[in-house]
Amino acid sequence: MSLRTIHLPVLCVSLSLAALALAADEAVDFETIDESIDTRKALMEDVGAAAKPVGLMLRGERDYDWTVALESLRTWQDVGGEFGKHFPEGSESGSGTEAAPAIWEDREGFEAALTEWSEATSSAIAAAPATLDEARPVLGAVFNTCKDCHDGYRIETD
Amino acid sequence: MGGWIRLLLALVVIAAAAGWWLTRPVTLGPEDLPDYTPDAIAGERQFWAGGCASCHASPVDGKRARGDDKLRLGGGLELETPYGVFRVPNVSPHPDDGIGGWSMLDFVNAMQRGVAPGGKHYYPSFPYTSYAKIPVRDVMDLKAYIDTLPAVAGRIDEHSLGFPWSVRRGLGLWKLRYLDTERFAGPGDAHDPVARGRLLVEGAGHCGECHTPRDRFGGMDRSRWLAGGPDPEGKGRVPNITPAGENLADWSASDIAYYLESGFTPEFDTVGGTMVAVQENMARLDKADRDAIAAYLKAIPPVE
Repeated sequence: MSLRTIHLPVLCVSLSLAALALAADEAVDFETIDESIDTRKALMEDVGAAAKPVGLMLRGERDYDWTVALESLRTWQDVGGEFGKHFPEGSESGSGTEAAPAIWEDREGFEAALTEWSEATSSAIAAAPATLDEARPVLGAVFNTCKDCHDGYRIETD
Repeated sequence: MGGWIRLLLALVVIAAAAGWWLTRPVTLGPEDLPDYTPDAIAGERQFWAGGCASCHASPVDGKRARGDDKLRLGGGLELETPYGVFRVPNVSPHPDDGIGGWSMLDFVNAMQRGVAPGGKHYYPSFPYTSYAKIPVRDVMDLKAYIDTLPAVAGRIDEHSLGFPWSVRRGLGLWKLRYLDTERFAGPGDAHDPVARGRLLVEGAGHCGECHTPRDRFGGMDRSRWLAGGPDPEGKGRVPNITPAGENLADWSASDIAYYLESGFTPEFDTVGGTMVAVQENMARLDKADRDAIAAYLKAIPPVE
């Protein structure tokens, strides 16, 4: 089939759809490799900063406070939807990344791990636990998704 | 002239005999086992403290075993090291492919003298230099526990090592230098957490096998006990866990115990790398054991 045989309207619609798709992903597509790595590192810094107050509550070293926990959960919800977009081909190494090759070798597994994190976060928000005893299982479940993903998809650097 | 040759031949024969004698496997005999009925429930604690599953549990779909799969000790993990590839054997109680046919004495000799039934030396990738420190009753308990686990079929291939490491008999010399068979008396006072922690860290936990640097013959450099060093499995470094180590210097004993229980650092970053499996094992111990490990790590000499 040659290009001449394609109907003009079909071509127009296809091109428009392609343009729309590009526009939707624009922010990510036009990120340089270094920017991708910097962005995902900054996002994970936010995740870590949000983990500390909740972790202290789980450890019993800080009074349980749902509003503080909720703020952390919202941070994780936002980052959870965004984080996976910053691992383009070519960003496997450099700029001090701790991303494991498994992210590119097993993209589905990586995406599934991120989904588990988001789901556990959403469940915790929906549960809105009133006491530490109620919060332990739901917040603990979120923390476990951190470990599970780091176990397979993060490498240890010096 | 003929006399010189005879003398030379005699010296060669004497040297060979001495070499053979020096590299012989040294084992315990039946008289070395106490009259003791092993306790499988107590053995489970040794199993997790000893990290048996971290090497011997068969990988599942190429990934490390999790949950109950940690109890399937069919082996098969490959450790890539500068000496070559070590293949972890089947130690499930399978009668033919595992250790189901072993006597108690066979098991104790493997764990504490690094000698297989029949007299072959084991390579120290199996950390018997640490396990040699465990009180013998605890080792007997461990066998009783392993005997309750699933029998897994399948023999694992031999290691693939380069020369001269491939000469197993030579390990006899290595052991003369590095295998200290004096057991700890054990915590005489069970309430002394440092003594209890020492037994767990230096014995079953075999923490020094990674966290203590090795010298050029692959033995632990005990002058730098737990001071960290290059990762024996390749890239990266294993952290210094003495009180001077940059990771642990600011951690309290309760931070260390919490890390071993939960896998979270005081900053709530997660445990990583090969330590993940270790932490999961430590999480199965009693809190008193984790507190004891922490107390011991706080008590050892700081090494910069």
